[in-house]
Amino acid sequence: MKTPVNSSFLNRTFSMGMLMSFFIALYLSLATTVVQAELKSSHQSGSVAFSGQHAGMNFEGKFERWEATLTLPPQSNPSIIATFYMSSAKTGDSIYDSTLPEFDWFDVENHALGKFVSTKIEMTEEGYQVLGDLTIKNITQPVNFMLIDSQDQLSTSFGINRLDYKIGWESDPDAEWVSKTIFISMVINK
Amino acid sequence: MTPSLQRYHSLSIVLHWSIALALLFMFASGLYMVNADISKADQYRVFQIHKASGVVILWALILRIGTRVFTQAPALPDSLNPQQVFKAKLGHIFLYVALVTMPLSGWLMVSASPFGLPTFVFVDWIKWPHIPGVARNKTLQVLANNVHWITAAILATSIVGHVGAFLWHKKKHNINLISRMWWNKK
Repeated sequence: MKTPVNSSFLNRTFSMGMLMSFFIALYLSLATTVVQAELKSSHQSGSVAFSGQHAGMNFEGKFERWEATLTLPPQSNPSIIATFYMSSAKTGDSIYDSTLPEFDWFDVENHALGKFVSTKIEMTEEGYQVLGDLTIKNITQPVNFMLIDSQDQLSTSFGINRLDYKIGWESDPDAEWVSKTIFISMVINK
Repeated sequence: MTPSLQRYHSLSIVLHWSIALALLFMFASGLYMVNADISKADQYRVFQIHKASGVVILWALILRIGTRVFTQAPALPDSLNPQQVFKAKLGHIFLYVALVTMPLSGWLMVSASPFGLPTFVFVDWIKWPHIPGVARNKTLQVLANNVHWITAAILATSIVGHVGAFLWHKKKHNINLISRMWWNKK
């Protein structure tokens, strides 16, 4: 003999299930948003590279060890803090790699870390306009750049004057051999 | 009775001619990299080759002098008078001093250079060290640079004298001195 089906009970059970699913989805969604609110990145998930010219030849290198924490708008108190280990700068050219750690260039013995700390971040159509302070060899200079937000990446490229940071100050103050402008580019995979 | 030695040790002969060829390259590359109207990139590359070659020549010279000290040299021909023998010895002393001064002054120049660029001897795993205690010493670098150029001029003159003496003895006295620095036919 068949037991009569209580449609009201079924409807209630179904609605409860829907509600639970909704809350689970909401929780997961919020959790993801919280993770994205403070994005942590490093050399394992992105790249910080530098490039310039030496003797008219292009050169490029990268920091093999760095860390960054990004809190981007619309989050409150947006900030970007990046730390890079100067001794991890490598170009693949033995002469450059032997010279970079020296006193007149990165002086890694006395200044092991470089640091970027943002002072203002504004949301734009392409991503974020970032203003901040870049410190190398204990010299801090203001920099600003556009952090482009693509679907799965944040990226930027901007130039600095190496002489502002006394990099190669004694060796090549007139930029006869090494270009004054050194481009720094960063890619962060979300 | 053992026959008198006719020629230098084989290693001395190999080193003599190898160093002679290397010196031709060093004179050419040195003048080219400083005076020729070339790009910075080419100038930089020739500088690195010149530096690396200088290190190789320094080692070849040390080996050459060691071979000269520890092996017997053939006697000069009896037909040379004492004054000619004296001049020959003086000429060789000049040559040796100039030969050794060249790479040493170059080494000092590179070590004291404000650029502080290291010297890799043609491969990444042979890094020739800088002379300690002279880094970024502009005064020493200028001094070493002057010594390098003046010695180059003295060395070039000595080589001309060296070759000239060989030709003069060959023509004037029919003495073939070059047979002392090559393998004789049996």
